[in-house]
Order: sequence, then C-alpha cells, then structure tokens
Amino acid sequence: MLFFRSEERVREWCRARGLPPRPVVRMDQLWQLAVTWYATRLEPESRRPGAPEMRGIFAALGLEGDFWDPLADSF
Amino acid sequence: MDSDTAVKVAVYRHFADTGRAPAIATIAELVGAGDQEVQESYGHLAKGRLLVLEADGRAIRMAPPFSGVPTQHRVLASGVTYYANCAWDSLGIPAALHRPAEVFSRCEASLEPLRLEVGERGPGSSSWLFHCQVPAAKWWQDIVFT
Repeated sequence: MLFFRSEERVREWCRARGLPPRPVVRMDQLWQLAVTWYATRLEPESRRPGAPEMRGIFAALGLEGDFWDPLADSF
Repeated sequence: MDSDTAVKVAVYRHFADTGRAPAIATIAELVGAGDQEVQESYGHLAKGRLLVLEADGRAIRMAPPFSGVPTQHRVLASGVTYYANCAWDSLGIPAALHRPAEVFSRCEASLEPLRLEVGERGPGSSSWLFHCQVPAAKWWQDIVFT
C-alpha cells in the first residue's frame, strides 16, 4: 500500500515489475478509509470492520469490483 | 474490561504516547498481569487482526495503524514521531490520534518526497494517489507485504 505522484507513475512502477495496475485511490477517499478504520482504535470497544461491512464501506466510496471485495475468490 | 481489551488499550495508548512499541513487561505492569498472560492476550489480539507479532510472539510488529519498526511512512504529531505500516496507515495515525499531523513518505516510482499536512478533517487538496497491488481478499495472507 503505497503513495504515487500520478497514475503515470503507478503504471511505470507496475510495468517495471510485470504487475497489473490496480485501481487508484484519491487522497480524500484514503482519508475516509483511515477514519473509518482507525478513528476509534484507541478506545476499548474498537474493532476492525468485518468483511460484509468492508464491502459497504468501499462501495460508499466508489471502490467497487472484485479487487475491493474481501470475499472475492477471483484472484 | 476483560484482560484482552485491557492489553489492547494499553498497547495502543503506549504507541499513541510514545510512537514506539511497548515491551511486554511494560504492558504487564500497566495491566497488573504477568508476561505470560499478556503474551496470551497478544495471541488473541493477533487472531483478531488487531496486532501483528514477531515470530517470538512477544514483540509487536504492528498495532495498525502504528508500526513497531521504522518504515518509509513517517508521521509527526504533537512532537512525537510515529511510523506507519503503509500509506493507508500514515493517514490512519492522525485519524486515530484525532490530532493534526505531518505525513512524510515518497512516490514509490520516482522516490519524490511526499510531505502532507493533515488537519483534524483530513489532508488538504492533493493530487497524490494511493495504490495497492494486493486485492482486498488477500491482504491478510501476508500483511507485512501488503
């Protein structure tokens, strides 16, 4: 899970490693993921989202498809 | 509060206060338990994906978003330096602390440095991107690689 300056840099990095480029995430989307995962992490009742919950979180941010599906068996 | 929860809170608050992983003896003292009991709780928390342990089962590699080892993703908040496990977790640290922070990282392709100011409502406008090579279904097959 890495930062890149642009989509061109993502493609360049993937090409150099023979890897397929994956969907990119904007910084505002990443902040929403960070808040959803971690805003209560220091509290006693904190927990990780379960797989069905993760699907909903990703979908709400427009992150859809098998790549973002924690239960996908297509990879 | 049950013993696993007490250990979890003590570990996470130690990371938040110091930016570093606690020694198992430190947590034992904080929760009033023995090292062995704390290690058992570590195991339970690792199964719940709230900790990632080193092979000895006693040292903490990750208490997401915090990293127990230095990484390329550094976060500075209120004078404390933290290390994040990945790009996502570098924003996760200010989100967990509820404090403004500066994130220092890099573009993995060009190695151009990234310095991002993160307020309590998130980072300002930025054209930088996040990319993950591993699909969500496989993140925890090798979370250190992910």
